[in-house]
Amino acid sequence: MMKNIVLMVVALILFSCNNTTKKDQETQTAGEVNIYTHRHYESDQELFKLFEEQSGIKVNVINASADELIQKMSLEGTKSPADVLITVDAGRLHRAKTSDLLQSISSKILDSIIPSHLKDTENHWFALTKRARVIAYARDRVNPEDLSTFEALTDEKWQNKLLIRSSGNIYNQSLLASIIANQGEVFAKEWVAGIVKNMARTPRGNDRDQVKAVAAGEGDLAIVNTYYIGLMENSSNPEEVQVTKSIGLFFPNQETTGTHINVSGAGVAKYAPNKENAIKFIEFLVSEEAQSVFALSNYEYPVNENVEVSQTLKNWGDFKEDKINLSLLGENNKKAVILFDEGGWR
Amino acid sequence: MREAGDNEIFSIKNRLLRLKRDSNRWSLIALFVVLLIALPILTIIFELFEGPGESWIHIVKNLLGQYISNSVYLLIVCSLLVLLFGVTTSWLVARYEFPFRKQLEWLLILPLAIPSYIVAYAYAGAFDYGGSLELIQRFFGIEFTRIDIMNRFGLAFVLSISLFPYVYVSTRAFFLNQANNLLEASRLLGVGEFRTFFKLILPLARPAIIAGMILVLMEVLNDYGAAQYFGVNTFTTGIFRSWFSLEEPETAIYLSALLLVLVFALILFEKWQRRKVQYSNESTNSERIYRKQTSKRKQFVIFCIVITPVLFGFLIPLAQLIYWAVLTYSSVFDATFVILSLQTFGIAFLTATVTVIFATLLIFSAKWNRIGFIKNLSRLGVLGYAIPGAVIAIGIMIPTLALDRWLMGLITSLSGNTTGFIIHGTLFALVYAYAVRFLAVAYNPIESTTLKVSNAIPDASKTLGVGNFKTFFKIEYPLIKTGMLSAFILVFVDVLKELPLTLILKPFQVNTLAVRAFEYASDERVMEAAIPSLFIIFTAAVPVIFLNKLLVSK
Repeated sequence: MMKNIVLMVVALILFSCNNTTKKDQETQTAGEVNIYTHRHYESDQELFKLFEEQSGIKVNVINASADELIQKMSLEGTKSPADVLITVDAGRLHRAKTSDLLQSISSKILDSIIPSHLKDTENHWFALTKRARVIAYARDRVNPEDLSTFEALTDEKWQNKLLIRSSGNIYNQSLLASIIANQGEVFAKEWVAGIVKNMARTPRGNDRDQVKAVAAGEGDLAIVNTYYIGLMENSSNPEEVQVTKSIGLFFPNQETTGTHINVSGAGVAKYAPNKENAIKFIEFLVSEEAQSVFALSNYEYPVNENVEVSQTLKNWGDFKEDKINLSLLGENNKKAVILFDEGGWR
Repeated sequence: MREAGDNEIFSIKNRLLRLKRDSNRWSLIALFVVLLIALPILTIIFELFEGPGESWIHIVKNLLGQYISNSVYLLIVCSLLVLLFGVTTSWLVARYEFPFRKQLEWLLILPLAIPSYIVAYAYAGAFDYGGSLELIQRFFGIEFTRIDIMNRFGLAFVLSISLFPYVYVSTRAFFLNQANNLLEASRLLGVGEFRTFFKLILPLARPAIIAGMILVLMEVLNDYGAAQYFGVNTFTTGIFRSWFSLEEPETAIYLSALLLVLVFALILFEKWQRRKVQYSNESTNSERIYRKQTSKRKQFVIFCIVITPVLFGFLIPLAQLIYWAVLTYSSVFDATFVILSLQTFGIAFLTATVTVIFATLLIFSAKWNRIGFIKNLSRLGVLGYAIPGAVIAIGIMIPTLALDRWLMGLITSLSGNTTGFIIHGTLFALVYAYAVRFLAVAYNPIESTTLKVSNAIPDASKTLGVGNFKTFFKIEYPLIKTGMLSAFILVFVDVLKELPLTLILKPFQVNTLAVRAFEYASDERVMEAAIPSLFIIFTAAVPVIFLNKLLVSK
């Protein structure tokens, strides 16, 4: 019993120490900025540190999924400590905007760097990085000339050949939302039915698992995110590197709308207590210095066009991207989910 | 014709009078603890009256059937598997002497130390294309036969193998402390070992088994990570889908409330069944179980049976994690892990202490109070465990934020200064949330040991004029200490792995190992999640081994 009490006291002291040191740091610096982020990569940690060094502004981070962060912000209301919300898809940013959690900001730096289709029409949020959704095919079984668009994947010749993860995944939802935006709901519904018919197995696992299943011959085609292919090609597991050698990447819809892309992006919270710092922070994230960190370490495409992509991405070649305004992905997200459920896409 | 007096007895005035007569300070304490713990749950139930969102019809039409059938399937299959793993091992460990028994005793608890979604990832990784199984088979030149684990049964297996220790811990405590007299009596009457077990021990162990089982089933119902990865749609994946994909929190809350009804029904059904039997064991000071010595061959068989769940629940996932950790060591590991482990340890320790105190207070104040409905109300506190952590977090945030706003308003009007949140976003709110969520984990083992303490001695003590409190520390506490320690271990380990609550409610400066593991896993970097997961296991192993010693060596 005594032991327990002693241990507890030690634990408490440990906490209080921790808190005081944090507070000491804060008082010495030029204020702080509170980040609610869904991104949790080493590259981001590195950038937060770099920003702290350059600006003297202390960065406080809460990591959680964007949905949880949005819920948290809306419950916290006007007193929310959040300054910046960062998500890994445009749909969530759009939702934060429609829930009245973000504010419009005017920044010449952001306006000059970020292309108009990669930001909110009213400047509530701005893209930081891009990822493309592409087709991974088995080199030994598929002739890339047979591939053209996402729409053409419903063709009978791909019956039992197609691998794709569950419809709960945001990238699938965004893809269908873009199809709804480009071709209408009726077409989208037929597309879901066609894809479900061609699936090699009921959806399970993540994007990496779909690629592995193609390599193992469970199917011929997988719809995946470029970001994960980048991770696999540079994986510390030799088996995964081996897998990527047997598959090719095809950027679909080059002749039509352009390949579907999604972005991770940031917006300034409506009730941000440190608004100026928040804007500085986002401006820093799209600067060439920060963007090259994103581009080189995380297999994402930078939004700053002056920055070169990493070697892995260079090898895949240039592509034309779908330039529909990304807000549309958010607007059509719910419709997409309902179509998935009705079509029996698990 | 009714007598006038009849009416009088049941008149509201008389009822209130009786209530006043029967109430004591324990009624108030019980009521207070229940309210504190049940506040978030009540918040969620209250939200229920707002009805589901517009997608409800869509869910009923396209998804609800699947949710129900998958969840019921998981409940049934997991019950059977957990019963098999948990009861068999606890009986063998308690009853027989065999090689490595002492090590296996605590190894059997350790599957709990790995978050079940990490076990799911480890299994998927082991059986994957290019996974460990294929590598091993390739090494021996055998053709690759793939075992597909990513399906409904695979999910049930993974959840059962990582959760069965709940049943093991509670059942073993019963066998160790209570079974000896029964065994002796049975042996004197010439009944065989096998029949004694099935006819006598098993039925009497029921409260202990059920206590563990309810925890398992609640955890199964609220699993999200593993089910989602394996592509099995359950109630909880549905809750997340309607909340986040369909953007309707009210529908999600409606679904969780349905889930709550299901759990409450399970608990009430069990209570109702148990009512027919009285479990009070008259000989509270029964001796420790006497261990049977058997032949070498039998010992070997027993060893093999007991090691199997350890192998599948702990050693195989552990080996997979170590393999991944070796692959990713250079890019993931740094010194911050040590600080992170200490911090996580501290939070878990604090929470486990608070939760065990709450649970004990709740059980005993309910026992000492004399108003019937408060006794029943105390059960409400355990519901938190069945609700997905993310939903509990909402249930916590609504009342704490309301209180915070009120306090902030008060401070502003008194001093003219504005302040930030006082409770929300602090360690206090986080520990409170954990206590709400894990009360059931502490409640059940303590309750099941309390049930076995006969009322005679405490009653005698009280007749002699010793107060409730003193009686508790002098008599009841030593008797239920094992239950409290088990409760402590379980809550401690659970806090180490807890994720959604931590993510939403943690203060800016605080971080836990589970959060670090999740950061990798959620980004499909499962291999990189291995190192934080291993740290969770080691952090959990320390108290598990230490406390197991205390439990066994009393």
